[in-house]
Amino acid sequence: MKFDLSYTIDALPRLLEGATVTVQVALLGFLFSITLGTIIVLTRTTLNWRILNGIIAVYVSFIRGTPLMIQIFLVYYVLPVTGLNLGAFTSGILAITLNSAAFVSEILRGGLTSVPKGQFEAAKSLGVSGVALWGRVILPQTFIASIPPLVNEFTQVLKATALLSIITVVELLRVSQQIYSANYHPVEILSGAFVIYFLLCFFVSRGSVLLENHWRVRRA
Amino acid sequence: MALDFSIFVEYGPRLLIGFWLTIKIVIAAIILGMPWGLVLALGRRSRFLIPRLAATSFVEIFRNTPFIIQVFLFFYVLPFYGIRFPAEYVGTLALAAFGSAYFAEIIRGGIDAVSKGQLESARAIGMSDWQAMKNIVLPQTLSIILPPLTNQTLSLIKESAILSTITVNELTMSGIRVQGEIFRPFEVFIMVALLYWGFNESIAFLMRKIERKANKARTSNQNIAGKTTSISRGASR
Repeated sequence: MKFDLSYTIDALPRLLEGATVTVQVALLGFLFSITLGTIIVLTRTTLNWRILNGIIAVYVSFIRGTPLMIQIFLVYYVLPVTGLNLGAFTSGILAITLNSAAFVSEILRGGLTSVPKGQFEAAKSLGVSGVALWGRVILPQTFIASIPPLVNEFTQVLKATALLSIITVVELLRVSQQIYSANYHPVEILSGAFVIYFLLCFFVSRGSVLLENHWRVRRA
Repeated sequence: MALDFSIFVEYGPRLLIGFWLTIKIVIAAIILGMPWGLVLALGRRSRFLIPRLAATSFVEIFRNTPFIIQVFLFFYVLPFYGIRFPAEYVGTLALAAFGSAYFAEIIRGGIDAVSKGQLESARAIGMSDWQAMKNIVLPQTLSIILPPLTNQTLSLIKESAILSTITVNELTMSGIRVQGEIFRPFEVFIMVALLYWGFNESIAFLMRKIERKANKARTSNQNIAGKTTSISRGASR
């Protein structure tokens, strides 16, 4: 058999359509996971309740210790049993969010340690506390310090969305499977999807530098 | 719905057999991927363009695409060119290729972390590039790269779950098969998750202990005298 590029080119419009779904799912999942990750870090540092910290620690350890695929299965197959029927797309995003939030919370925890203690003390001595302290002083610095690992995490999320094809979310990989199960040219179609994934992840990871420079200029 | 954990007893052994295959595949992937990762790391630092370009593209391609599509490509491309392997071998190969790209970056980072003077002085006393790398730089990188290598190994254990998509009968696939027979997704997948979780956490615990010991040993050696350690190191070879 010979590699026939015309199959790849024919499939390209549909593959790009799938890629937009991939990007959508990744963006939504990442947005939610940043929110959840921030909440986790805040409860950990400001509330600092023993029991809550214990629960968070177990959650993070579970997410880091088990395959994403199993987590996706747990969300997709187990929630309907409890009467909550979410559908593939929503449970996919939920699984990605729960997975990524654990990593984001660890990243932000690391970023938080890079904020000097003097920032807290200076803010407090100026009478800044509570929402203003976190929202205007500490969190912005935490996020800027965490840009490189956060961008890296986003590429991880982008790659993780491919796993959602297993629970029938029609993203890039699922679309390619649909195409090659009809025309029996898996190598050509999968190569096309492969290149799209590569370009997406590669340029996102290179974008980290741009973001960093942008914020550095804003800060100066 | 009442949870029925008695299936643990009945189907547990089948999952454990799957888990054993997961462990074997990961070990094989490390044995294949680690030396290849070293080759890639040295290739990326080569002063010749072609090995540098080849190694860099290999690493970037495998790091910037989802593992699942790499697995599919291996699964379909090898037969496309007339190479037929059982799914287990294809999966191991894919996992090794995927892992080697990450191993390469870890090893490269470790080499860069060893101070440049070490390589230069080794070259100055007449060692060849390879001798200096083998005898001076690489031994020093070992303690630096041990923690990230452990992390990568743990992530290979997790990624190996994806091999279930090409019908490799490892832990996740065993779980899917058992679930297909008894329709109790929660119990089955929790059981599978607990196996992965317990295994990963115990390896992490063990490695943390070893690292702590290694760090202690290193600091006490330094307390005696920097020179004696380097001499004893050379003599022990």
